[in-house]
Amino acid sequence: MKQSIPIQRIIIWIFLLGALVFIMAPMIFMISASFMPASDIVKMPYRWIPRGIHSENFVKAVAGNDGTYIFIRNLLNSLIVASVVSFTTVLISSLTGYSLSKFSYRGRDLLFLMIMATMMIPFEAIMIPLYMVVTKLGLQNSYQGLILPFLVNAFGVFMMRQYLITFPDEFIDAARVDGMSEFAIYRSIILPNTGPAIATLAILAFRSQWDNLLWPLLVAQTEQMKTIPLYIVKFTAEMHTDEGAMMAVNLLASIPMFVLFFALSKYFVSGAAVYSSRKG
Amino acid sequence: MSRQKKSSLKHHQDRWGMLFVLPALLFFSLFNFYPIFNALFTSLFRKKVLSLKPPMFIGLENYTYLLTSADFWNSIRATAVFTLGTFVPLLIVSLLLAVFISQVKRGRKFLQLAYYSPAVLSSVVAAAIWLLIFDPRGLANQWVNAILMTPGVDHNWFSNSCMVQFATMLVYFWKYVGYFIIIFIAGIASIPVTLYEAARIDGSGNWQSFWKITLPLLRPTVVLVSIMSMLQCLKTFSTQYLFTQSGAPQGPINVITMNIYNTGIRDHRIGRASAMSIILFVIMLFFTWLQFKTTKSDEVTY
Repeated sequence: MKQSIPIQRIIIWIFLLGALVFIMAPMIFMISASFMPASDIVKMPYRWIPRGIHSENFVKAVAGNDGTYIFIRNLLNSLIVASVVSFTTVLISSLTGYSLSKFSYRGRDLLFLMIMATMMIPFEAIMIPLYMVVTKLGLQNSYQGLILPFLVNAFGVFMMRQYLITFPDEFIDAARVDGMSEFAIYRSIILPNTGPAIATLAILAFRSQWDNLLWPLLVAQTEQMKTIPLYIVKFTAEMHTDEGAMMAVNLLASIPMFVLFFALSKYFVSGAAVYSSRKG
Repeated sequence: MSRQKKSSLKHHQDRWGMLFVLPALLFFSLFNFYPIFNALFTSLFRKKVLSLKPPMFIGLENYTYLLTSADFWNSIRATAVFTLGTFVPLLIVSLLLAVFISQVKRGRKFLQLAYYSPAVLSSVVAAAIWLLIFDPRGLANQWVNAILMTPGVDHNWFSNSCMVQFATMLVYFWKYVGYFIIIFIAGIASIPVTLYEAARIDGSGNWQSFWKITLPLLRPTVVLVSIMSMLQCLKTFSTQYLFTQSGAPQGPINVITMNIYNTGIRDHRIGRASAMSIILFVIMLFFTWLQFKTTKSDEVTY
């Protein structure tokens, strides 16, 4: 292998490290500021290493500005909504993807086309009518209301179908010869053999709900039913003079995603990369 | 092949297949198809959510109102400025960094994960962090002053209408650049190494290889990423919402989604908000169509 010119290497590394500083600095800022008293955060120049650990920021973050500890309930709400959504998304998407790839009933391709067409409908364009549907069903301020519109997504169906198209038919036929029921085939052959696709899809669904601000903003009117993004908005608007507590809230709200990220970074990355190999 | 023999067994299987698709079909009908037709229908009425008066059919009046409303055009402008100002730098920088990362041997994995890490944060958290950075006494001023050597200048990130727009773009850029880097790296990895080796034997340098091999073969990914990021930018909401809730002026960053939310939920004007939703839908539909059209004609053969 020919060694490339050192100057070029150096320029590349300058760019890469510069970008690294730009990207990491705000993250490190969040972490270090959450351990500082407010007076240190706005001190010029900024001290990146906190003097001692000011854990009262975290106490304030969890207790809230009125001491109601609603943070814990809101965190729980987010966990519930995100978990249920990623569970149902995986379940229904794989079932639908299986049906659309391995059976040949009439109208199958039309169904697939119809489901794909929904990918073109942005959530933001239907949130008002969706809100009216949920209101009519009497589901504002409920987990059902928060969850229902996201039970399954078209991209999940698409991904599962693409994944299963390459799955060999012989396994399925063999199971049929053995007298397995169609549902048992799905449960004990299809599901266990789609691991990477399931993991990717579960992460995408979980993260999109953890991040969801707009829909809970419409549906969750009481403090009890709010989710973490709403808590952060409220806390930020009310406590913007207490910078340390603000960053502590953000850090706490990010921990579940970071745990997931480090445990499953392989799938996170492949979840993003799915897009570049979408053809075929 | 499957059509020639339709034994009763096959029939039985296919009935199961239809059953499996039923939950999804029901879901998409109720939560996607019905709402979009409902939005279309509602956009033709004067309807207020809490009013007891029956909705009044007014034809296209909501649309003509919007198209002559300075506030709505401001939202279109805010969204267009945000989208253009975000996706062009995103595209160029992420492509450049992806090419650079693919060139290095050591530390590649670490850099990828580090660049990607902001994408793991939720958008609200990202906006909240930058809210503090843009504080008059915050890091943004310190950095900019250090680079421009203008000590003590406050760059008014929130009080100046240009700066507040720029601030929202910066948040979005920061959060998503790593995400697009990963997509580009996957695209670059799918280009056969033999092409580069052949080019090297022919005496072309790295720079030439980039223009002659990487960029042309990466075109489908470039098109995909640009339209994907465009569609994402058109839907931006969290950053703008958190900023305005925390005191930033609304006018310069009143993007369409925020306008829909405020019109429909705060002002209860469901008809007008629906008309706005339909306009947003049509704009995004156009870009999606563009994506399908361009990616289809862009099949690459090695």
